[in-house]
Amino acid sequence: MTVQARRHVWMGAIPLHLHLHSSEVTSLPAPPPFLILAPRNGYLPLLVDAIRPHFNSALPPGSDTIWFDYEGLPLKWNIPTGVLFDLLCAEPERPWNLTVHFRSYPAGVLSLCEDEAVKWNFINALKEAFYVMYGNTKSIMNMSQSDQVELWHCVMKGDLEGYDRLAARVKPAFGFGANVGRSEVGKPGRIPMRMYLRMVDQDLNDLFDVRPVSSWDDVVYVTCPIDVPKRRGTTLTLRDALMKVVPHLFSSSPTISNEVTLEAPSVMRASSNAVHNEFNGIVRVQGIEPSLDLPLDWVARNLCGPEHFVHLSVICTLVAPSLPPGAAD
Amino acid sequence: MADASSAPAARKVVVFFKAIGDAPILKQSKFKIGGVEKFAKVIEFLRKQVHRETLFVYINSGFSPNPDENIWDLFENFGIDGKLVVNYACSMAWG
Repeated sequence: MTVQARRHVWMGAIPLHLHLHSSEVTSLPAPPPFLILAPRNGYLPLLVDAIRPHFNSALPPGSDTIWFDYEGLPLKWNIPTGVLFDLLCAEPERPWNLTVHFRSYPAGVLSLCEDEAVKWNFINALKEAFYVMYGNTKSIMNMSQSDQVELWHCVMKGDLEGYDRLAARVKPAFGFGANVGRSEVGKPGRIPMRMYLRMVDQDLNDLFDVRPVSSWDDVVYVTCPIDVPKRRGTTLTLRDALMKVVPHLFSSSPTISNEVTLEAPSVMRASSNAVHNEFNGIVRVQGIEPSLDLPLDWVARNLCGPEHFVHLSVICTLVAPSLPPGAAD
Repeated sequence: MADASSAPAARKVVVFFKAIGDAPILKQSKFKIGGVEKFAKVIEFLRKQVHRETLFVYINSGFSPNPDENIWDLFENFGIDGKLVVNYACSMAWG
């Protein structure tokens, strides 16, 4: 079962519908849009070799790095494609309509993406995750250069078996294939989590008309390790983790939401009393809206990316007060 | 526990810079930086201080965080003795 869940995650892909930005169209007629499947655990610039030939003849002279935008927002290439989709496409659209650019790289918004930047971004994220889990980066540091390169190729190709084979070979071993390495390294002390928080000014049941994210400043980006309880028999759930990181998004008592209270205070109160500890938002991991009662350990083993981070996209409505109790000291 | 959403904007982090290899050593090695800043700010600051375009910057001699990461998060997660230890090199030190 576990192996199967990981396989599904690794096979996950998002159909992209790519238009060349109008400022870069020099041919008549303009090149038709291009359709491609983008792996969820992949990174957008890695698609360049498949995409460029389609648009090449239409491009103006010069050369620059490929980049993408969604509704005008330049997409950060260091965030896995699936996470971008879960976060930015509030009501999932398939195919996902993106604009592709081969010129005028927005260096002010996106970090440079030269040479092997995507690979190093991955290796460093992997090391950071290991630092969180075990307090050091030994497993990765001990890998030979060629193994590291091969691991990266497995990630690019979505080759889970190859990845697990390599992961099991290093000392101390890592990876979750058939749970190898678990006993050798021991249980990680902390679970590496990245959370991307997006506020919308709309009812979460109706995400069709949500305003797209216009600036990355509107997304709160948190790296938050979650301590694994040491006592046997204690299971930490996804809900517990969220309560630690974003306690202000839970309503255990009647929440005072400005808009709703003005209209119908009695209805609001009744409904929030009925549900204890209700999470006021949507959580997405690998395209799934998981039950918050899932054990965090299971989520970490099965739904993490190949760099071992669990990426949580959270969409929530603007609620007041936005600070958790006790934060106003 | 990292909780940037509740961290008051005024929180500062003490960053301790350590040169690796032939990287120039700074006269002053400790600086305070606003917790809400991104790691990109640290990289940019270092570049100006040592007058190098290309720098490799690490946390705890372990990994290079993404320039997007929040300083307060990094401090909460990887800070040692009240400081965030940042190593820098002119060539790649740890692959």
